[in-house]
Amino acid sequence: MNLLLPAIGFGVVTASILALAGVGFTLQFGVTNILNLAYGSIMTGAAFAALLVSQRGVNLWIAVAAGGAFGAVFSVALNRVVYTPFIRRGTRLFGMIIVTISVALVVQYGIQAIWGASFFSLEGLHASAIQLGAFAFTTTQLGILGIGVGAMIAVHALLRYTTLGKAMRATATNVELARNCGIATDRVIDLAWAISGCLCGLAGVALVINVTAFTDTTGSDLLIPIIAVAVLGGIGQAYGAMLGALIIGITSEIAAALISPDYKDVVAFVILIAVLLVRPKGIFSEIASGKEVAA
Amino acid sequence: MSSAWQFYISSVLIYLGVDIMACWGLNLQFGYAGLVNFSFIVFQAAGAYTAAVLTLGRPGPASIQQYLGGAHWPFPLPVLAAGAVGALLAAGVGAIGLRRLRSDYEAMVMLVVSLIATSIATNQTNLVNGANGLDLVPKPLAAVLHVSPLSYQWFYVAMTAVVCGLVFLLVTLITGSPLGRSLRAMRENERAAAALGRNVTGLRMLAFVVGGGIAGISGAILVMFISAWSPGSWLYPETFVYFTALIVGGSGNNMGAVVGALLVPVAFLEATRFLPQFGPPGFIDAVQWIAIGLLALVFLWFWPRGVVPERRRRFPRARSQLAATEGGQLEQNAP
Repeated sequence: MNLLLPAIGFGVVTASILALAGVGFTLQFGVTNILNLAYGSIMTGAAFAALLVSQRGVNLWIAVAAGGAFGAVFSVALNRVVYTPFIRRGTRLFGMIIVTISVALVVQYGIQAIWGASFFSLEGLHASAIQLGAFAFTTTQLGILGIGVGAMIAVHALLRYTTLGKAMRATATNVELARNCGIATDRVIDLAWAISGCLCGLAGVALVINVTAFTDTTGSDLLIPIIAVAVLGGIGQAYGAMLGALIIGITSEIAAALISPDYKDVVAFVILIAVLLVRPKGIFSEIASGKEVAA
Repeated sequence: MSSAWQFYISSVLIYLGVDIMACWGLNLQFGYAGLVNFSFIVFQAAGAYTAAVLTLGRPGPASIQQYLGGAHWPFPLPVLAAGAVGALLAAGVGAIGLRRLRSDYEAMVMLVVSLIATSIATNQTNLVNGANGLDLVPKPLAAVLHVSPLSYQWFYVAMTAVVCGLVFLLVTLITGSPLGRSLRAMRENERAAAALGRNVTGLRMLAFVVGGGIAGISGAILVMFISAWSPGSWLYPETFVYFTALIVGGSGNNMGAVVGALLVPVAFLEATRFLPQFGPPGFIDAVQWIAIGLLALVFLWFWPRGVVPERRRRFPRARSQLAATEGGQLEQNAP
């Protein structure tokens, strides 16, 4: 029990990062149907954008915002300049995987070519411990929790109470039908990339605040757990991804505490494979869009 | 030709042979059967570990490297065993992982298989010596031949060529036969192939297992030459290199796979390893990966069917007969 409680505490922090990243991933995948394997590298890119800003001695929250802004701008540009032209040219499922992996390699190794393969950390981090009931958190961990919960509330408000949110949910369910109902799906897709990219950037900065020292592979190392979160929750399902993030975040930290930290990611890997093979539409497929996953 | 050049050229030829075999294996799985096997490198790794363990002998309690099993098998046997292990592993992974998923989901499952395999090989240090990997793998027949290192290089080139020839026979036996036609039919339209009485599940498994066996053999030839093997040698982006080779060369035909192996892993990656290093450490590596990524993008944009496109197959007589009766056409749609 004395091992379990701190593990749950860590798990909630990990879950906030996974929720940020997972909700962004699932919204974009649901709306655009592109499995964007460059997502992890964009997280790293956002972290390095935040690093550049934080090195100028500004407040850490400005660095966090810079990371989110970088993610949004980069994602929209990536979609406009690379992904959409390839799709218009007739590149389909397998081809798009190769395209997104290529972009992932170019971004990740571009960062390595510029900054070198060494460790970095954001400036302006002052962590002190705070006791909350049975859990001990550092102030940075509470900051990450705050970013996570705040972003989730914002996503909820967007999806529930705005016309744009309704249009996004409609586009994720059926693009053709949404277009026939007069929804400007192209604009919705652009906005989906922007929102997903912003969440991706925030997740990237939250991640490097949490791990304190990061490299050019920090974001892409988290890619499979993020995909696991999205698939577990059902592709396109933001609420599913939030729950998936809690499940995977907490179970992987418990596994790290009780078995071995080396096998932390294996939990997410196994969950992902099991869900894909047994129930590829995710655990919430009753409300899921019914996208054809099985060929 | 100076001996340094001979060493350089013979080494590149051996890498070329290994990569050609690997590309044929992946081409059988992806190019013919349409299986998006993003864990291909795992089967090459399994073959390499098998060949290494079966030539290194049993580890003593004080050995610098610890691994499971160990034997001193005479030369051709470790290579055959590597092929068998690659095929068996493929049968296991295929039995669990090959479902009728959309191809991007299938790629995801296979990618995760690759990551899990790396994680296990790295963390279970008593299995294949963990992150440090296996080292000092003896060169086959070196003790029997008693030749100079340079002559041995050329002997190894010849041996690689022979193994390549045998693998080519196996691959063309499958792809040139009605079986190859069934695989292509399945790739183009699985439901139609099944409706025509083809055992689609069996065909997928066959391509996956034979491809895995070929990957294992290529790993054995590689590890016996470079004499060391560790998890760092088979990270998942290496599979991406082979996929890029097939895209550049042209998938779905064995000549395209050869051209791809020549252009991508050899011309792009292996050959530059012998060039002088410049820039900070890791800079050349990073630039190589960026170049590979851009190469894949450029080819998918301009020449998605590769340098040697898959031949469109025509059946003139059947077509004219059919045209006389129904006006339909039998020409197969290329991807």
